[in-house]
Amino acid sequence: MTDTPFTLIEAFRLWGQPISWTVLTTWGIMLFLGLGSALISRRLNVRPGRLQVFLELFVVTIEDQITSTLPGPPDRFRALIGTLFLFILTANWCSLIPGIDPPTAHLETDAALAGIVFVATIGFGIRSQGLGGYLRAFARPNWAMIPLNLIEQVTRILSLMVRLFGNVMSGVFVVGIVLSLAGLLVPIPLMALDLLTGAVQAYIFAILALVFIASAVEGAHSERTPSA
Amino acid sequence: MEFDWVTFGLQAVNVLVLLAILRHFLFRPIVAIIAKRQEETEAAMDKAAKAQTEAEAAAEEARLAAAQTHDARADALSQAATEGEAQRKALISSAHKEATDIIEAARTQALQIKEDAVADTLRRARDLAEAIARRALSELPAPPDTALFATRLGKALDAMSKTARDGLFGGENLRIVSARALTAAELEGIRAVLTPLGVKDPGTEVDPDLIAGLDLRSSSGVVRNSLAHSLTQISEALHNDDRPGA
Repeated sequence: MTDTPFTLIEAFRLWGQPISWTVLTTWGIMLFLGLGSALISRRLNVRPGRLQVFLELFVVTIEDQITSTLPGPPDRFRALIGTLFLFILTANWCSLIPGIDPPTAHLETDAALAGIVFVATIGFGIRSQGLGGYLRAFARPNWAMIPLNLIEQVTRILSLMVRLFGNVMSGVFVVGIVLSLAGLLVPIPLMALDLLTGAVQAYIFAILALVFIASAVEGAHSERTPSA
Repeated sequence: MEFDWVTFGLQAVNVLVLLAILRHFLFRPIVAIIAKRQEETEAAMDKAAKAQTEAEAAAEEARLAAAQTHDARADALSQAATEGEAQRKALISSAHKEATDIIEAARTQALQIKEDAVADTLRRARDLAEAIARRALSELPAPPDTALFATRLGKALDAMSKTARDGLFGGENLRIVSARALTAAELEGIRAVLTPLGVKDPGTEVDPDLIAGLDLRSSSGVVRNSLAHSLTQISEALHNDDRPGA
């Protein structure tokens, strides 16, 4: 399909627009997650099975993370943070399927994810503090900090994007290189490591998105920004 | 390296669509089922708490019932003991009274038997003495001395008051009764004793039942002076003797 994550390979054209394999893979992931969720939600029971227990544990864990970061009920952020984590995790683990490049190994996907987090941060900040309050938060602790806070808003989103892209892309690169040099079974340990890296990166992305949203909601941008 | 804005836009839309899909098909149902389970759990807990409260109330009620049963049992035992004691006392009293009655009846019966035996013995003794006396007198070779009986009759008349003596003498058919026919000499001796005492021309009469002796009789009374009368007195005295061992 491709030899490098830096280039997009056109799969087909839709209304004259080229549709890349990255988008196609993303649709596949959406189909998998959407169908899976629909099938599972039909079989939900008060007395859960193993899969339902796992999914409930996943949801409760996300809610716990949100609750520990933000005061109040976690309802507003549950779907966003959970979707980011599930999508990035599934996308990262796509590399296990032969011939499939993870969508997160392409900068457009990571940029789209980071852009969504950026917009969500602004949206939740304005909703919780009002437009004036949200804008005044950039002048903290004084007016001189406005440029720095604005730059921080952009750079942390860029760091979020580049961190995910760099980790996933490097994993794909390393596995591809080792596969081309050493043979079929040699990259397996690296692929296992890629699984761990993919899960960790999904978790980091989701938690950082939550922290950015929390800082915008609470109006304490610079103080709550962690260094990942 | 190129940045494809179309892919960027499509991916952004894809993620947003996926967000909507997962929100609708995954997160809401799972949160709903968790909430439902929590509600059912809370309902079950409430029900269990209510059941526990009811069970505790039932246990308390059962404890009270057991206590009441215990008290009732104790009361019943106490009442039974009291009634048993009363019945025992009543039975003992009844038995004691019955035994006393039996003893008294036995004592009365024994006394009656004793009295009957004594009376029978006395009667038989009297009859025997009388029979002995009669036989002895009847077999005497000589009749008893009439003068002796005449003297005793005189003494008896002399001991009587004048009023009683006049009442006797005033009666009709004044006569001297003897066990056998008197001889003229004996009659003369008797008159010699009685005439000074106021007895005038008495008649004579023979009554073998006297065994021996002389009676002075009239329609107003009698002065008994015979061996039969003496035996009768002895018999009556023996019969009326109620001394212990008599």
